[in-house]
Amino acid sequence: MPRVIKGITIPVNRAEGDLEIKIDMTDGVITDAWSSGTMYRGFETMMTGRGALDGLVITPRVCGICSLTHLSAAVNALDIISESTPPDNAIRLRNLSLMAETIQSDMRQSILMFMADFTNSQAYQHHFLFEEATKKYQPLKGTSVMDVVKKTRRLIEIIAIIGGQWPHTSFMVPGGVTSIPDTPKLMQCRLIVEQFRNWYESRVLGCSIERWQDISNLADLYEWLDEKPEHSKSDVGFFLRFAFKAGLDTFGTATENYISFGNLPFPAETTISEILKKSKTDLYDNHTPQSRSLISAGFAKGTTLFPLEPEKIREDISSSWFKPSSSAAHPFEGETIPYASGNSSQRYSWVKAPRYDNLPSETGPLAEMIIDGEPLFHDMIKNKGATTLTRQLARMVRPAKLLPAMTIWLNELMHRRNEPFYTSVKNIPDGQGAGMLQAARGALGHWVKTENQKIAQYQIITPTSWNASPRDSGTVRGPWETALIGTSVKSIENPVEAGHVIRSFDPCMVCAVHTLRKNSNNCNQQKNSFII
Amino acid sequence: MTTLYWVQGGGCGGDTYSLLSSDFLDVNALFNTLDLELLWHPSISNISHTAHQKMLESIISEKIKLDILMVEGSIICGPAGTGMFDTKDGRAKKDLIHMLAHKAKFVIAVGTCASFGGFGTEHAIEATGLQFLRREKGGFLGNDFTAKSGMPVINLAGCPCHHDVIAGALMAIAGDTDLELDNFNRPLEWYSTMVHQGCTRNEYHEYRIEESDFGEMGCLFFHMGCAGPLVPGPCNKLLWNRHSSKPRAGVPCFGCTDPDFPRATPFFHTPNIEGIPLELPRGVNRAHYMVYKGMAAEAAPLRLKKRSSKV
Repeated sequence: MPRVIKGITIPVNRAEGDLEIKIDMTDGVITDAWSSGTMYRGFETMMTGRGALDGLVITPRVCGICSLTHLSAAVNALDIISESTPPDNAIRLRNLSLMAETIQSDMRQSILMFMADFTNSQAYQHHFLFEEATKKYQPLKGTSVMDVVKKTRRLIEIIAIIGGQWPHTSFMVPGGVTSIPDTPKLMQCRLIVEQFRNWYESRVLGCSIERWQDISNLADLYEWLDEKPEHSKSDVGFFLRFAFKAGLDTFGTATENYISFGNLPFPAETTISEILKKSKTDLYDNHTPQSRSLISAGFAKGTTLFPLEPEKIREDISSSWFKPSSSAAHPFEGETIPYASGNSSQRYSWVKAPRYDNLPSETGPLAEMIIDGEPLFHDMIKNKGATTLTRQLARMVRPAKLLPAMTIWLNELMHRRNEPFYTSVKNIPDGQGAGMLQAARGALGHWVKTENQKIAQYQIITPTSWNASPRDSGTVRGPWETALIGTSVKSIENPVEAGHVIRSFDPCMVCAVHTLRKNSNNCNQQKNSFII
Repeated sequence: MTTLYWVQGGGCGGDTYSLLSSDFLDVNALFNTLDLELLWHPSISNISHTAHQKMLESIISEKIKLDILMVEGSIICGPAGTGMFDTKDGRAKKDLIHMLAHKAKFVIAVGTCASFGGFGTEHAIEATGLQFLRREKGGFLGNDFTAKSGMPVINLAGCPCHHDVIAGALMAIAGDTDLELDNFNRPLEWYSTMVHQGCTRNEYHEYRIEESDFGEMGCLFFHMGCAGPLVPGPCNKLLWNRHSSKPRAGVPCFGCTDPDFPRATPFFHTPNIEGIPLELPRGVNRAHYMVYKGMAAEAAPLRLKKRSSKV
C-alpha cells in the first residue's frame, strides 16, 4: 500500500525572507505543493499620496539584496512619466552599479545559500565529495565562503563610489544620476572589476571567460569538466560534480515558460556590441533598436522565443490573502488590499499570482539565458529540461557575461568623464509609467501613476512573485509549486531536496510580499474584515 | 564563547547585507576572532528545520544560554494585534521574539525598523520597534524591559545600520565593554555626532553654496532635503563600503537614524520659509543662524561659487 503523507509544512531558510511550502507525498515523492509567503509588509500602499520622487527612497527598502534594482525600476517609471532621456554617462553609471549588485547577489546566493546544502551531513555524509564540500562551503568557515564574502564586499565598493553606499542609496533620479565619480575613483572601479574578474576566472570558473563561452552544448560542458583539474576543482566544476552525483539534473523542472523584461540598455554611443557576437547565437543578430540592451526582453515557451508584450501581464489573486476582485487585473489597475478569509484551502499566500498571457512563467538567470539564445542553456533544456542543476548553473555563470561589459563601460566613462550625467527634470507631470527590468532574480516591474506631484498609485510585481506564485483562478500552479512535484525526499525531517529546488529559484520573499493600503481613517473598519 | 541568535521580523535583510560589508574584520573573521557562536541566522545557517526547532526549545528551557539576540526588521503586530501578518510555523513571529528577548543577556535592535518601527508603523501591519514606537518609549517589549544583563534594548539605528556599527557593537559586547546610550538608546559612540560631520560638502554648507537641482555640487541641506545636520550618525566619519556616503555622491541624507524615519514630508525637498529651512541644524539659535548664513553667503569665495573643486 502506498505511503501517503498530506499537508506537511516545510519552512525554507537561506531565502531572503519568510517562506513555507506545504507538500503532499506518496512513497517519498512529492505529489503536490503549495507555496506560501508568510509575511505581509505593505510597501506599495505606503507610497500612495507621498511625494512623486519618494519611490526612489522607499522602494529600495523593499529588499536588502536587490535594493538597486528597485531603485532602477522606480527611476525608469519616472523617466517615462517625465519624458526624460538620461545622458549616456548616466546609463553607464546606472548599469555598472546594477551589474555589481547582480554579481554580488549571484555569488552570495550560490556559495552562501545554495551550496551550503551540500554540507548537510544528514543528507550527504556518504556523498564522495562531502568532506570537500564541508571544507569549502560550511557557513562562516568554508574556504569558498570566506573568499566570496571578501570578494563581493570589494565588488560592491563600486556602488558606493557611484552612489554613496550599498545597500539603500537613491542616486538614480529622473534625468540621470546625482554625480559622476572623479577620474581616480573611476580608475579604482576599473581595478576592482579587473581583480574581481581574475578571482572569478581562477576560482569560480577555473578558466578564462573566453574559454567558458566556447561551451555551447552539454557535450562541451562534460568535456570542459574533464579537461583540466582547474576546471573540476573550481566552484562551478565542484558544483557540477556534486550536483550530477546527487541527481540535481533529474528534478526541479517547472512550467517551461520563461519571461524576461530585459535590462542594461546600451548608451547611444558604445562599443559594447563588439563583445556580444561572441555570446549570442544568430537568433539575435537582427537586433531591433528596442532590443539594444545587454539582456533581452522576451517570452519563451520551451526554447521558442516571442517578443514581450507587456499588456499581456495580469495579477491573479484567487489564492492570495487579498480582497477578491472580479478578474485578474493589469498592474496599472491592480489593488493591494489584504483580506484574510481564513479559508486556508483556497487562499494561502501573501504573494499574488502574476500571469503572462494567462500562463505562469519562470523568471531569473535561466530565463535570461534562454531568451538571450545562449546555446549551452538551449541545449541543456532540450536534453535535460530546466532542472535544478540547469537553473543554478545559469546563475553561477551569469557574471561571465556581465564582467567584460563592465570594463568596456568603465573605459568609456574614463574617456567621457566631462560629458553630462544629468538632464534637469524640475517637476514630475501627471502621468503613468512602467519601470520594467530584469533584476538579479528576474522580471521586476513598478507601475506608477502620478498626480499633482504626488504618487497616485504604485503596483510592484517582483521576480519572486512570478516564481513563487500560488495557484490562479484556473487552479494552475505557480512555477516552483510545479517544480517540486516529482521530487524525491529521502527524509521528511531533513527535506534537503525540496530546498534545492526552491533555492535554485533564488527566492526573495521580502520582495514578494506586498502590503496594505494607506487609509488611516477607516483603520478600524479594515481591522474588522480580518478573520484569522 | 558568546552565543548569538539572529531573527528577522518585518524587514528587508538590508542590515545583514550591510554587515557583510564589514571591512576592519570581515564577517567570518569577526565571528571567529570574537569567538561568537552563531546559533542561527536565517540567511546563513544550514541546520534543518527539526534541528532548529530543538535549538529553540533548548534556548527557551535555558539548556542553551543565549548571550545576544539580534533583531532585524520591525515587530509586526497586525492585524488587530494578532501578529498574523508575519508568521513562523503558523504562529505569530512576535511571540517567538518575545520569548527569546526574555532569555537573552543582551538584546540588540539592528536597524531603524527593529529600533523604532520604521516602515509600517501607521498601517494595518501595526509595525513597532522593540522598545520604541517612533519617538515614544515602550514599543513591543515595554518601557521597563531589560535584558538579563540589565541593559535595555540597544538600538543600532539606520536604514540600514552602518556595517562598522553592527560589528563594533558585537566587539563591545564580546569584549565586555560598556556602551553608553542616548535618549533613544542608541550608543553614543556612533550616534553623538551629526551625519553632516565629515561630509566633503561642508565647505559649501559653510558659505551657503546651495544645490537646487541634482548634480550641481553644493550643499544639499537648504533645498534638496538633506537631513545631515539634523540627525546623528557616523556615515561621513566611518564612510560606507570604505569609500563614500550618500551626500558625498550628491544624494541627500534621508535621516534614517531618526525615530521618525521615514518622515511624512516628501524626500528630496527641504520644507522652508522664503528659502530658510523650517528645521535648522540641531541646537542652533534661529536668529543668529540666519544672520550667520547671510554673512557667510556674502563672504563665499569665488572658487566655491564657481564649483572649481570636483567635490
